[in-house]
Amino acid sequence: MATEKSMTVKILRETHKVSDEVKDNLKQFNKDKKSILEALKEGEQTIAQLSKATGMDRAKTLYITMSLAKFGFVAVGKVDDMDEYFTYKLKTK
Amino acid sequence: MQTERIKLTYDALVIGGGIAGGEAALNLANNGYKVLVVEKSLSVGGKMIMLSKVFPTLDCSACITTPKVSEISRHPNIKIFTESDIESIEKLGEHNFVAKVTRRPRYVVEEDCTACQLCEEACPVIVKDQFQYGLVGRKAAYIPFSICSPKVAAIDIDNCTLCGACEKVCPPGCIDFTMKAKQYEISVKTAIVATGFELFDPSTVKRYSYQEGKNVITSMQMERLLAPTRPFHTILRPSDGKVPDKIAYVLCAGSRDDSMGNPICSQICCMYSIKQAQLLMGALPMADITIYYIDIRAFGKGYDEFYEQAVSMGVRLVKGKIGKISEKENGNLVLRYEDVSTGKLKEAEHDFVVLSVGAKPNEEPQSLFKTQKLELDNLKYVKQSDPLLSPAKTTIEGVFVAGAATGPKDIPDSILSAGCASTEAISYLNS
Repeated sequence: MATEKSMTVKILRETHKVSDEVKDNLKQFNKDKKSILEALKEGEQTIAQLSKATGMDRAKTLYITMSLAKFGFVAVGKVDDMDEYFTYKLKTK
Repeated sequence: MQTERIKLTYDALVIGGGIAGGEAALNLANNGYKVLVVEKSLSVGGKMIMLSKVFPTLDCSACITTPKVSEISRHPNIKIFTESDIESIEKLGEHNFVAKVTRRPRYVVEEDCTACQLCEEACPVIVKDQFQYGLVGRKAAYIPFSICSPKVAAIDIDNCTLCGACEKVCPPGCIDFTMKAKQYEISVKTAIVATGFELFDPSTVKRYSYQEGKNVITSMQMERLLAPTRPFHTILRPSDGKVPDKIAYVLCAGSRDDSMGNPICSQICCMYSIKQAQLLMGALPMADITIYYIDIRAFGKGYDEFYEQAVSMGVRLVKGKIGKISEKENGNLVLRYEDVSTGKLKEAEHDFVVLSVGAKPNEEPQSLFKTQKLELDNLKYVKQSDPLLSPAKTTIEGVFVAGAATGPKDIPDSILSAGCASTEAISYLNS
C-alpha cells in the first residue's frame, strides 16, 4: 500500500510543471537558511548581527530566523540590558 | 475526470464558515435540519479564530471559538465543505434551490490525516504564512494553523516542488497528489449568506507607508503578534527584531473616509484598538501606547468602561487625524497629524505603528445568485429587505443573511444576527 501511495507525486509530475519561481524560491531559502545557521555556529547573535554576517537586510533576516525558530532549527537566547534586542542561537536537539 | 456532478440534498445551505455562519448552522442543526456549510478557506472559524482576545471581557478568542467550531464540525446534522467555491445558486421555486459547488483538492485524504505534522517537517519549501499575515513562513505541506478545523494537512500545490518528501514520510499514507477538484450539485430548501466582511487594504493609501515602512502593520497583524499562537516569540518590530517601546495606533484607517471608498464607521476598530493597547501594556509594561483617533465610539455593553480602563492604565489618546506616516532610516516612523484640540499640525515619532484597518463589504455573494438578484445596498453590503423588522431577510425569499455580510458588526452582534437568520430560515422551512 505504501509503495503504491508513494507513486502519486510521480503521476502529478507528468502533468504539472513546477514553475521557475518556485524552484528559485526554494534555492534562495536554502541559501538563506544555510547562511543563518552557519553564522549562528559562531554563537548567539541578534538580528542586526546576523544581518551583518549574512548580508541580508534585517527584515529578511528576522523573517528567516523566525521561520527557522518555528521549524525547530533556532532557539531564542537572551535579551540585552535595555530589553530591546534578543539573541538567537542554534537549537540543540 | 469527473463527468457528472455529485448530487446531494440538504435542508439548508450556509455560505461561509465564520462565527456567524457556524452559529446559524448550529441553530438549524440543533432543530433537526440537515445543513451544508460551504467555506472557501482551509478552516472554519473565520476571522474570530485568528484573534488574540475579545473585548470587553478580554477572554481568549481561541478558547471561545474552538469549542464552538468543534461543536459545528462534529454535529451529525452538519456537513462542512472547506476549500470550496460556490459557482452558482439558482432558485427554482419556493423551498427549492440548487447550488453548484466545487471542492478544490487538498491533496490530503481528510479522513486519514492525523495532523502529525511529519509532512510539514519533511517539506523543504518555505513561503509566507497567510494565516500569520506574512510575518513568518510556512511549509508547502502544512497544517493551516494550530487550532484550525478540520485539523488536517494541506498541500499548497502552487508552491510545491513535487519533491515527494511529504508523501514518503506520511504514516497513514494520506497524501494523494492525484486528487482532483470535485463538483457537486446541491439541492437545498433555504440558504443563509454569512460571507462576512473584508479588511481594508492600507497598501492602496500611499500616505500610510504600509509595506514601504516595515514597522507599519495592520491591526490584524498585531492580533497575531498578541495571540498565543503568535509568529514571533514576543512582540517584535518586523524591520529589525527590536522590542517596540513607543507604539502608535492610527484609527479609522480605511473607515469614515469617502476618498478611500468607505464613508462609514467600521464599528469595531475603536474597541479592538483599545483592547490591543491594554494587551500590549500587559506584554510590554514599559511601552508607551498612543491612540490617534477622530472619535471614540464605545457604544456596547461594558465598552465605555473598557475604554476608561485603558485610559486609567496609561494609554494616551490623541484626538488627531493622521495625514502622513514617514519612515526614518532607523525604522522609526514620523506621524504628521492635525491635533484637533489645538487645530495645529504636529509631528510625533514612534517606533511601531498599527493601522486600525476598517471593514469593507464582501461583494462576492451577489454574483452567486443567478435566477434572482441578491441586491446589495448603496455601501455594497447585502441588502436587508426590511432592516428594522426582519433584518435577516434579503431581497430573495428564502435566502437570509447573517453576521457582517450586512455591515460591520462586533462578535456579539454577529452571533445575534446569526440567531435571527437561523430563526427566519426555520420559519421559512416550516411555512
